[in-house]
Amino acid sequence: MAFLDEKVDYLFIGKSGAILLGYPGTTQDVDVFPRRSPENGHRIVAALRKIGFEINSELEREIVAGKDFVQIKTGPFDVDLVFAPDGITSFVDAQARGLIEGIFRVANLRDIIASKRASGRQKDKIELPLLESFRVEFEKRSSHPLRSTAEIASKRRSKK
Amino acid sequence: MKQTDEQTEDAFREQCRRQMDRPLSLRIKYGFNRVYKPVLDDAPWRSFESMTAYREWCEANLPEYLGYKRAHD
Repeated sequence: MAFLDEKVDYLFIGKSGAILLGYPGTTQDVDVFPRRSPENGHRIVAALRKIGFEINSELEREIVAGKDFVQIKTGPFDVDLVFAPDGITSFVDAQARGLIEGIFRVANLRDIIASKRASGRQKDKIELPLLESFRVEFEKRSSHPLRSTAEIASKRRSKK
Repeated sequence: MKQTDEQTEDAFREQCRRQMDRPLSLRIKYGFNRVYKPVLDDAPWRSFESMTAYREWCEANLPEYLGYKRAHD
């Protein structure tokens, strides 16, 4: 709600995003992909403070600067601000194809999966087949097939 | 009786359908929990200039069992 109130430009990504869409898994933190701009950084700081996060001046500078990855554990839950997630080419493209779930903005499931695949981590490798199965079930209920930003970029390149 | 891979897949798909039918509030309630993670949780915050720097930090500092290290095929 605070992100909505402060007009933060963001998308939930990672497993937390999939869980909001209905993936039957659990996670320990919230992964947020925000638009990188000083204005949006200030909005993020205001929103996190509103929720109860302690943001000191040094951390505030890092958020406003849009460091690629900012991990915060000073609030009611753990949040990772991922300004440059693996496997997602641009915030604008991802936002255009993002999904709305209640009051939350969530990245396209295909972008979430592409990002997990690109990260190459052990825990993501284990999760990928389950996420793919979830995607199949999720897309049966979607009005139109989803495509990741990487797939769209690839199609654009092949047209040229 | 041991489940076949196909039965396991079908059971998981059914679980997905049930979870999608649940309201968002329940997905949040049961989907997010917190358990202490050594090293990772031992600083109030961290920032990294690049995802590569973050991955390198994970490789160098986090216990293997947390799963943050790079998977090798």
